[in-house]
Amino acid sequence: MDTAQLTAGAFDPTKVTRILFEGFSLPAVTFFYLAGIAALAVFAHGCWVEIRKYRRGAADPASATMLWQRFKGMVGAVLSHRTIERRDKAAGHAHRLIFFGFAVLFIGTATITLDYDITAKLFGWRFWYGDFYLWFSLFCDVAGLALTVGLIYMMARRGWLKPPKLDYARPDREPGDKDYDRRGYRIEDWAFLWTLIGIAVTGFVLEAARLVWLQERPEVWTLRWWSPVGALLAEVFRGAGLSADGASALRGGLWWFHGLIALAFIALIPRTKVKHIFTASGSLMMRDPLAAQRLPRADPEAKTVGYSKITDFTWKHLLNLDACTKCGRCHEACPARAAGAPLSPRDVILSLREFANEALEKKDLPEEAKLSVHGKDVGQVFMETLWSCRTCMACVEICPVAVEHVPIIVQLRRKLVEDGDMDPLLTKTLQTIHKTGNSFGESKRKRPAWTKSLPFTIKDARKEPVELLWFVGDYASFDPRNQKVTQAFARLLHGAGVDFGILYDGESNAGNDVRRVGEEGLYELLAENNVALLQKSSFKRIVTTDPHSFNTIKNEYPEFGGKYEIVHYTQLLTEMLNDGRLKLDRPLGYRTTYHDPCHLGRFNKEFDAPRALIEAVGCELVDMARSRDNSFCCGAGGGRIWVPDPVGKEKPAQIRMREAAAIEGLQVFAVACPKDLTMFEDALKTTGHEGRFVVRELIELIEECMAPAIPATAEEPQEPVPA
Amino acid sequence: MKILVAVKRVAALEEDFEIRDDGRDVDPDFLNFDLNEWDDYSLETAVQIKEAAGDGVEVVAVTVGPDDADEVLRKCLAKGADRALRVWDDALEEADPIAIARVLAAVAQKEKPDLLLAGTQSSDHGHAATGIALSALLDWPHAAVVAALDFKPGSATALVQRELEGGLLQSVEVQTPAVLTIQLGINTPRYASLRGIKQAASRPIETATPQELGVADDALGAAGSHSRVRRMYVPEKGRAQMIEGSAAEKAARLIQIIREATGA
Repeated sequence: MDTAQLTAGAFDPTKVTRILFEGFSLPAVTFFYLAGIAALAVFAHGCWVEIRKYRRGAADPASATMLWQRFKGMVGAVLSHRTIERRDKAAGHAHRLIFFGFAVLFIGTATITLDYDITAKLFGWRFWYGDFYLWFSLFCDVAGLALTVGLIYMMARRGWLKPPKLDYARPDREPGDKDYDRRGYRIEDWAFLWTLIGIAVTGFVLEAARLVWLQERPEVWTLRWWSPVGALLAEVFRGAGLSADGASALRGGLWWFHGLIALAFIALIPRTKVKHIFTASGSLMMRDPLAAQRLPRADPEAKTVGYSKITDFTWKHLLNLDACTKCGRCHEACPARAAGAPLSPRDVILSLREFANEALEKKDLPEEAKLSVHGKDVGQVFMETLWSCRTCMACVEICPVAVEHVPIIVQLRRKLVEDGDMDPLLTKTLQTIHKTGNSFGESKRKRPAWTKSLPFTIKDARKEPVELLWFVGDYASFDPRNQKVTQAFARLLHGAGVDFGILYDGESNAGNDVRRVGEEGLYELLAENNVALLQKSSFKRIVTTDPHSFNTIKNEYPEFGGKYEIVHYTQLLTEMLNDGRLKLDRPLGYRTTYHDPCHLGRFNKEFDAPRALIEAVGCELVDMARSRDNSFCCGAGGGRIWVPDPVGKEKPAQIRMREAAAIEGLQVFAVACPKDLTMFEDALKTTGHEGRFVVRELIELIEECMAPAIPATAEEPQEPVPA
Repeated sequence: MKILVAVKRVAALEEDFEIRDDGRDVDPDFLNFDLNEWDDYSLETAVQIKEAAGDGVEVVAVTVGPDDADEVLRKCLAKGADRALRVWDDALEEADPIAIARVLAAVAQKEKPDLLLAGTQSSDHGHAATGIALSALLDWPHAAVVAALDFKPGSATALVQRELEGGLLQSVEVQTPAVLTIQLGINTPRYASLRGIKQAASRPIETATPQELGVADDALGAAGSHSRVRRMYVPEKGRAQMIEGSAAEKAARLIQIIREATGA
């Protein structure tokens, strides 16, 4: 646009700029500068207090690597807002308006400071005038508008829409408990919104007042539409009868209000939720994409294990605590919370944050006894809270600021395990696994018992080389219902002429869930046993039907010297389907839904192979509302399959069954995980949906698809069962 | 103040097992070994007394057994025992509970504990004799099947609740030093994490031979035992049968069975 056309007045358009301190006395300007310096000092001190807090945490050796890549990742996430808009588009858009509005206005203010206080004073060079100034005005006005609109939406969201995830009621505390009340957070949320919108709105009013005040100056009035919002407001003010003198007075008072709350805002950044600008970015930069999939190792020689004191936390986890913006996405996604357990990932993080602030922000560290985060006191985490977690990773997955809830919970559990603070049934199971290598308490010798009824012999991969080593896993080996699936998979591989073998009685529990319980020593023993055996065997790659074993072999065994190529059976079968080794010729035609197992889907991002198989067997796939990375855990993870859920409360698997039952005409609830089969067949019965639809392993559907047509038995859903 | 805890590495059968060729024991291939469950409770009892006292109590775990028995001692160390002692000589192979008690008594005479705890029985052989024999050999008072214990270090007596038949409890005051055999359920034994067990692996296990403790050669093993295992076997099952027919037929069949059984 040619500015000359717009500015046909008695002034030089290339020299046009804006007044700053016009009409202020020297003491007033001096006072403002002093206030500015004071604000920056308070800000800097606040930053120092926070940094000192993080430095009181433990070192995190992994954090120093790949800094440039991490930085790029963080910038990408922040600019794109992709983590913020997930599963909440409206909040994402509103935050984007606020973020970019705020960022542009901040850069704008910084630009003025650069011009007026630095380049002009030091070098006599000014650039904030002419075309640059005009475009700058337009940009800042649009940014201010974006900021205001975003803030108004957020206020409406908190005030009227009230999404349940923003309700801070705690499932882990009782009303009346000292730290039950989260009123402080609510006040802060509103103070934050009102302060920001106050700064934005007074900015516009100031702009309008300046235009009215200086309406006689042609360079101001002629060019006013370069600040469209201010100009519009100015028209309104003039229409309402505001004189130039009145505008001058208004500007004088409002200027100080606007300036001082803006400075106060800056000063308080490190001490309020505003700090998430830095902590969330920092947390995103330190994001570990395998945080929950590959849990941190523990030094076996160290005096203590896991997180006992707040100073045991790595500085990165302390930063995580401060990054949390209480958005409630984890709270919403958590299956334990949904089932009424005393756990909300958000409240664990907030509790620990409050604890860290209380213990680590002072000049001196409190005595050691006051650093323990376990217990029943204010800010401490309850044992039952930690044991409610199913380590399903739903929280870590959806957290927009990369908080590592699951690794933190497991670190806290390690301390509980060390002290024996756990359910007696869990103690028993761990002892059993130590003694027998499996969670069923069966003799090692019985692990391959399921092979006996097969009409062929499976190779012993310990004794002869095989192409494919099948790591069977506990549930697939010992659970009678799952053994049928295991045998079906063996028949499938044998029928397709695949060269495969198993480890027979040499295999031990893979350890995935033992590690997630927090029994790191036992995990190491199991992993070392399995790795030693695998190292001695000759094979090209590993296959397993168990997503739990899949996860730990894939992501955790490498740290124990076992680097293998491993596929889940759904991936293998998809491959075999594509290269023609697997032929499916009888479309089943069932209306089917598929439950993504946590450890296959969310943990290892395999969503498509199982769906391809469902399509291949000619079933109609109808996904549940919560699917793929938002799949809802069956409740068995993190060792919870060994400890029954409390009676009288709805279990996660039952919640899931009801979700599936809402699909009209559903015939098959397909799973691809042995534990899922156990959990959901049970939940099918207890929710009274038995007879309406069935739970099936994908392997069973495939075998049915290959078998010659047989007449339907009573429980086979050949025809849609009327609901 | 010292508490001596006598522990045993016991065998548990696998579901399918075979008897050793000599017919006197189970083939060890079919056995899983662990710390005797009762001893887990007695060790916990000792460790709780130590923890309650805060300081000045030493818990010593002792077992009579070959090298393999170290694993249960390590578990004891992981759970809070201060020292572990293993006594063995191959001559002890055929020892009965009395002969084992003789070795343990020698240990007690050397260690001079204020309290000696043992399990009420072992889960594999179930003699429930070692602890009581020990008290006889030491000529110390004893209380068997202890379901609750109140003992303050330094006190001349211990107050125990003994579990009797029919849900009765008997409260007994016992002079110390005494031998107490501990019943299941007296407490909740703690979990020994694998980390704890691994760390315990680096701690020493003291060893001694019965000879070093002054037990005579002829008091060991088969020579020093009053009983001997002759045979171990699985009794035949399914001998019950329903006799059908008239009263006379039933009586005739019954007489026939009795004659067969008595060898008449």
